[in-house]
Amino acid sequence: MSADDFEGNEFESEACAYTDYTSGEAHEQYPKTGGGATGVERDVWDALYEVEDPEMPVSIVDLGLIYGVEVADDVARVEMTLTYTGCPARDMILNDVRCAALAAGVADAEVTLRYSPPWNVEMVTERGKEDLREFGLSV
Amino acid sequence: MRFDPSTRGEGPETGVECPYCESTNTVRDHPKGPGLCRSMHYCEDCEQPFERFG
Repeated sequence: MSADDFEGNEFESEACAYTDYTSGEAHEQYPKTGGGATGVERDVWDALYEVEDPEMPVSIVDLGLIYGVEVADDVARVEMTLTYTGCPARDMILNDVRCAALAAGVADAEVTLRYSPPWNVEMVTERGKEDLREFGLSV
Repeated sequence: MRFDPSTRGEGPETGVECPYCESTNTVRDHPKGPGLCRSMHYCEDCEQPFERFG
């Protein structure tokens, strides 16, 4: 029996706990980098840009992890993803993102994790790829 | 459900661009790196080990 014969996905989830070493496809709507954002939303994007991946000196915005920012009634709602579902830095990153959004001057911030669309390396911005190469990683 | 493809050695074994000298004269040392999204490679030109991301 090969690994491909194994059917144990009772949750019918698309997410997987490892990175498939193939490139993946570029996504039309992603990455989102806050282009065109104004006012407080602009401030939130700018604050999020300052948050770096815990392993690498790259902005999480450049990594393509942020899927959306909305500010309404003085509350910032950030939708984001992680590079894989089992990411051990999950709580740390979520907390960093929430603190960054709060620092942009909103009364409260909610961070929601999404795994759709699944992240892949094509969601990294050109600047992000440069930063990764600078750090000594091949992208 | 699929198993970790790195155990089957998927992904490019040669030709990955070296982040230091940009050569593609490189070989993969090992499909597993320090994180789930990294594999270990070696550049034959500048003789440096490096990791591939993604």
